[in-house]
Amino acid sequence: MAAQAAWAGNGGIAPPDSATTSGSAINDVYWIVIGVTAAVFLVVEGALVWFIVRFRRRRGTEFDADGPQIHGNTKLELLWTSIPFLILVAIIVVTIVKVPSVDAKPPKGADPLVVRVESHQFYWEYVYPNGAVTVDRLRIPVERQVQLELVAYDVAHSWWVPALTGKRDAIPGRTNQLTFTATKTGTFRGQCAEFCGVQHAVMRTEVEVVPGAEFDQWLETEGAAQAAGTSDLGRQTWEGVCAKCHGLAGEGDIGPTIAGNPALVDAKGLAPLLAEGRDNPQISGYMPPISPGWPGSQLEALIEYVRSNPDLAPAGAAQQGG
Amino acid sequence: MAVRVDQPVLPTWKDGTVMRWLVSVDHKRIGILYIWSAFAFFVAGGIMALLMRLQLASANADVVTKDGFNSLFTMHGTVMVFLFAMPILAGLGNYLVPLMIGAKDMAFPRLNAFSLWLYIIGAIVLLGSFGATGGAARAGWTAYTPLSGPDYSPEVGQDLWILGLHLVGVSSLLGAINFLVTIVNMRAPGMTWTRIPLFVWAMVAQTILIVLTVPVIAAALLLLLLDRQAGTSIFLPDGGGSAVLYQHLFWFFGHPEVYILILPAFGIISEIIPVFSRKPIFGYKAIAFSSLGIAFISMIVWAHHMFTVGLGTSLNGYFMVATYLVAIPTGVKILNWTATLWRGNITFSTPMLYALGMIALFIIGGLSGIVVGNFPVDYQVHDSYYVVAHFHYTLFGGMVFGVFAGLYHWFPKMTGRMFDERLGKASFWLLFIGFNLTFIPQHMLGLMGMPRRVYTYDREGVFEVYNLLSTIGAWLMALAVLVFILNVVKSWRSGVRAGNDPWLADTLEWYATSPPPEHNFERVPYVSSHRPLRDLRIRLRGQNGG
Repeated sequence: MAAQAAWAGNGGIAPPDSATTSGSAINDVYWIVIGVTAAVFLVVEGALVWFIVRFRRRRGTEFDADGPQIHGNTKLELLWTSIPFLILVAIIVVTIVKVPSVDAKPPKGADPLVVRVESHQFYWEYVYPNGAVTVDRLRIPVERQVQLELVAYDVAHSWWVPALTGKRDAIPGRTNQLTFTATKTGTFRGQCAEFCGVQHAVMRTEVEVVPGAEFDQWLETEGAAQAAGTSDLGRQTWEGVCAKCHGLAGEGDIGPTIAGNPALVDAKGLAPLLAEGRDNPQISGYMPPISPGWPGSQLEALIEYVRSNPDLAPAGAAQQGG
Repeated sequence: MAVRVDQPVLPTWKDGTVMRWLVSVDHKRIGILYIWSAFAFFVAGGIMALLMRLQLASANADVVTKDGFNSLFTMHGTVMVFLFAMPILAGLGNYLVPLMIGAKDMAFPRLNAFSLWLYIIGAIVLLGSFGATGGAARAGWTAYTPLSGPDYSPEVGQDLWILGLHLVGVSSLLGAINFLVTIVNMRAPGMTWTRIPLFVWAMVAQTILIVLTVPVIAAALLLLLLDRQAGTSIFLPDGGGSAVLYQHLFWFFGHPEVYILILPAFGIISEIIPVFSRKPIFGYKAIAFSSLGIAFISMIVWAHHMFTVGLGTSLNGYFMVATYLVAIPTGVKILNWTATLWRGNITFSTPMLYALGMIALFIIGGLSGIVVGNFPVDYQVHDSYYVVAHFHYTLFGGMVFGVFAGLYHWFPKMTGRMFDERLGKASFWLLFIGFNLTFIPQHMLGLMGMPRRVYTYDREGVFEVYNLLSTIGAWLMALAVLVFILNVVKSWRSGVRAGNDPWLADTLEWYATSPPPEHNFERVPYVSSHRPLRDLRIRLRGQNGG
């Protein structure tokens, strides 16, 4: 699969080939830094190994036979203080030259696609300009600047899709921007990079880069479908939000079994539970508040999905939902 | 108060074999108790690492629970930094500093014992976290807020973690003050500041750093405790606090902390390389002053741990430049050690192998520091396994190899017996190979997109192979530590008796008997260079007409 191939990349000797301009700029800096440090490595480690081999004690030499009593050399000290200094200055200059391409700030008057990334324990909610939302799967157009507005509702997270660009933290109390322009279409995987709690390891995401026209059309259709309650947002929410702790079939994992629980289709009871979480120090674990920021249609879509799914729906609920 | 000397001296409760250790205020006994305790925690932290590596040996494995894994890496980091690394250096420092400067003991022997027992109590509180309802702390050794706050880590384990670290922190602080006072006031006649051993210089720089930065983490943890228990919101954005402030305070301590750990290891290397090269250290002053330089610069680089927080390009740029400055004094040390080897008469005894291994590995850790210290590149590698590999090269490849070098080097002094060279060399090669096998693949894993602190991954192929190699390497390292323990036990019981100075070394600790008596010396030779024992040997040779 394309996504798998993009993951595998180059066997880990460098960040994966980037599908964005800013990510490519980071890779350029990486190769310069790794080139310089590799050269330094060869010289210094080479000298160390050479001296160790060359000046080892030979057969017939006493343990305490003195070497020449050299206490130092000021010229050498100055030399090996200034050469590293110059090397570092060179790296710094090259880096600073590259920074504007890495930051990829939108030029004045530009019209980037702004997507709000609401990070939660343990999912990503992507909010598009027309109000449509997706869970864990971001869809963006190719060859158009994208600006992510990263926020967090509970603890700190970090949005990282290595084959696109570097990561950026989402920290409660502040909004961070991450801008980039995708240069090729495809699906790219990533995950949360800032430890955020028990299911941090499965707080994954996928980014699908599609042609601009296809994106525009999808966004319009999706927005209308979500307004009409006919999108698959309910399924996305179940799989991205609920299933990570309660299991894909609601069979229970770190959270209790919830398949068939009548509370799942009781909107009045469910809304405050999802909004406030359930904190009970008497039991190991708790439920974080997971719905802050949701549009009203999302809870409806979730309940609708549960009703329509015979594995999850409580007895009798399916008919009731019609 | 007058002392009556005509009464018979009766044994008291303090005279049992065990009690004599427990109530001792002798710096050597305190040092050895520090070393034993710290080593026990090294084994405990190592077992946690082995469990984590088992869980990560294959994709989607199920060896430990999710919460369990998160507790393991939290406690592994905390135990290794605060219960192993800092205390074992305090132990080596305790044992060596008074001997090296020709003093009878530390300046404040009772305070010294107090530091030791405070550390032990702190360690018990910290590890008590495992027995607490809800399990051990699991917000990472960095305990970032709000994750470590009352809403997301309500368990009492997190509070025990804070309290344990407070106790251990106060212990370090008192110990550091004790070292500074001792080194400033109690040096032997003639021992000027340019004649103290380089290990002691390293301890000066290290303890200054402790005094300046440990209070900051103590304050941060106290505020975190208030957020958790007293309803304040200093670090909690919901109540108007700042989560980023906690990160600043943590790393203002956290970055100097890595130099607190590495500087004494540098000092150990500076002692061992000359002895087994039969040469004076190259650039004594450059090495001594570079320790102070590193200590200073390390306090102005902290936010390179926060490049992805969104502080902006100018701040990131400043912290990158400052970080790169550290490379200069560090490079000076490595080059001076290498120059010391030049035209030497190098004997590959076990301490020397560890010292050379330390230099070889620290070069790698230092250079990967240039990579992670570059903020655009850090956008990719930050919080990934690349960072895990980088800091293990500095802290394990650097600090732990340095500590093993020191433990082997001064084993004859501490026990009066020689260790087994064959077992020593076996432990070195197992550790060296195991270490590289564990951590080289982690660089690749990070670049391939593996974040740190994940209990599972779902990728196969070369990604899984790297993880498996890393796990195999970890078990080789465990074997190396077992060989080390075997060597210590065997040699302590039946090793060949060591004389005062088995290595024909240059510093004053070798003038005392092995092990040294209480109060160390009857008298010490006048110190006229940084190699007083070599001066003495030459004088004696002259008198004997040699």
